[in-house]
Amino acid sequence: MATSMAATLAASLPAVQAAPAPTVSSYEALPASMSKVIDIEAQIPITRVQIDALVLTKITKHGQEAKSNNAAGLLLGLDLDGTLEVSNSFPLPTSQQAGDEEDKSTKFSGDDNCDAARYQASMLRALKEVQVDDNVVGFYQTISLGAYLLPSIKDMQAVHQEKLRHGGVVVVHDVTQSSRGIASFRAFRLTKNFTDVQRKGKFNSQNLVEHGLTFSSVFEEIPVEVRKSALLNAFLGGLKEARLEPDFSPRSALGVKEVRTLGSKYGVLDLNGPGQVNRNLEQVIERLDEYKTEEGNVAYLTRQSAREKARAELYVQKRKEENAARVAQGLAPLPEEDVSRLFKIPGEPSRLESMLLLGQIDGYTRSLAVASSDVLVKTYATRSSTPL
Amino acid sequence: MPLGSSSSAIYLQTSALGSSANPGRALPTVTVHPVALFSILDHFLRRTDSQDRVIGTLIGTRNENEVEVRNCFAVLHSETSEQVAVDIEYHHSMFELHHRVNPKEVIVGWYSTGSNLNTYSALIQNFYSQETAPHQAVHLAMETGLQEGTQVGVKAYVSHTKSSSPLGVYPKAENCVFIPIPLELRFREAERSTLDLLTSPHSPLAPLTDLDVLSETLQSVSAMIDRVLAYVRSVLAGEVEGDAAVGRYLLDTLNTSVKGMDSGLNSHLQDTLMVSYLANLVRSQVEVSSRLALVT
Repeated sequence: MATSMAATLAASLPAVQAAPAPTVSSYEALPASMSKVIDIEAQIPITRVQIDALVLTKITKHGQEAKSNNAAGLLLGLDLDGTLEVSNSFPLPTSQQAGDEEDKSTKFSGDDNCDAARYQASMLRALKEVQVDDNVVGFYQTISLGAYLLPSIKDMQAVHQEKLRHGGVVVVHDVTQSSRGIASFRAFRLTKNFTDVQRKGKFNSQNLVEHGLTFSSVFEEIPVEVRKSALLNAFLGGLKEARLEPDFSPRSALGVKEVRTLGSKYGVLDLNGPGQVNRNLEQVIERLDEYKTEEGNVAYLTRQSAREKARAELYVQKRKEENAARVAQGLAPLPEEDVSRLFKIPGEPSRLESMLLLGQIDGYTRSLAVASSDVLVKTYATRSSTPL
Repeated sequence: MPLGSSSSAIYLQTSALGSSANPGRALPTVTVHPVALFSILDHFLRRTDSQDRVIGTLIGTRNENEVEVRNCFAVLHSETSEQVAVDIEYHHSMFELHHRVNPKEVIVGWYSTGSNLNTYSALIQNFYSQETAPHQAVHLAMETGLQEGTQVGVKAYVSHTKSSSPLGVYPKAENCVFIPIPLELRFREAERSTLDLLTSPHSPLAPLTDLDVLSETLQSVSAMIDRVLAYVRSVLAGEVEGDAAVGRYLLDTLNTSVKGMDSGLNSHLQDTLMVSYLANLVRSQVEVSSRLALVT
């Protein structure tokens, strides 16, 4: 990498100094104190996710900018002694945007996937040149109203689980929560049970029962911690302190040292909340309808399968009786035909879809319950202070 | 909010000169998003030993006479006593990558750490002026406060374009006047929650739940009421001279009518209870349904 950077430098600026000789890196022996925490084989399981303040703000900003609900990006960092340190991130272009550009300029023609891969690779290469961690440890995705069990998240995480060290994590940021004044960041990874079932390739009831898989055991949550660098801490402290505008507002008379932009806005105390209950209820009903349709599909497929099975069995039974009759008459028995070729018995329907839908309903209702309990607390508080 | 120590510069704007026919002259107002500032700090932390300062490109949006710095990325550069070199190719490819995610954002200027504006700064400014032409390039100088006697802060500058007001007898690239301009922090209301989290004094820092946030907010409101109460008491006792403006604010606040709120509150309460009940009902149904799927 050092050579290529020097090369680019030299290429862009003719007649600069001679390119520095590429340094030969030699590996030093690990000090004894570090040998325990560095695991080359990725054997220490991850128990915590530590997210840098920079990444939090980047995710929040991306979530606010993206019009649709699926702002996603990659997380970069390292794992050390059971803590996954996420130190940087970059957004991924949504397929919508890529599609738009394709329409407009046809510059990015070709496969969308391949295009995204190229974007990732060049971004990682570029970031490495400025000493940013270029190790992908997972991805982030913004959601709304608490439903994190989206098929897109599951698919992407399933891909990462195969490729990344430790399987990677997904950091989920709830946009609606943050507009209510609550910064919601949660980290998840797929459970072992789920990956086992996924590997078997079939989400039929037998596999589900074997692994005890319900929607709540698809993802497991990892505790999140926020890290601020000392420099950033000092900077935020500098912003908070002594930046009082020399204006004549009553604040100065009260001797309030508070920043006007960084201080809280007390939006949390709004009694009504920003009207999310309607949307939340709509989402719940929508998902319930979808679930009902899905359930109907599953039931239909199950009935179909049962009917075919019954017909096949009936056929075998008949053939056996016939044979018995023929033997009794002293004739040669008819050959036992392969039933599976005569009857197409459909496989058991996949339960994955309905499981994910249930998970989404659970997420929506959970956020609904939390929001309404929040409002209840506030309303009761207001009422008790009002003279009745 | 000013992001650094206030400067004594006076801003004179002549509207005739700031017309669209000559966009280079009007001084823009600059706002900066916290992400850009945080990225600069991160870049500064990741500099190599040989680097004294780091530079990078600012991207954002520009409309009329306002520049909004929304993001930035690091650019490789090297400075020696004889020369300065900026990796232009890197700058372009990185901008291309950013452009794909956010097509609306354009190059608006550059940043550097440290607050000394030297000849090299002028040269780099010259380069970025070409990138942002016909608009002015904005320069953000972030003082990281690592050296003694310096204070943390950010300052924004624009330079006079050579064509409009050349400096010296012959215009040269390394000559440049950096004019300080006001700078403000700007972010969306919904992003405040994250910044609140970052500035909260908890340790270790972790995302809070709804009720935690609520209780913290209530505590801070209660602290404010205490402060106002202490102030009013001291005014009444004659220790401090009362401020008429504060008095008016207090009067306005206390006069807020709560009449007719009760019936509204009650029905609101019933609605919320209903929603809460419904939500919990659906949740338990969902749980039962998922368990039943496991029973064959």
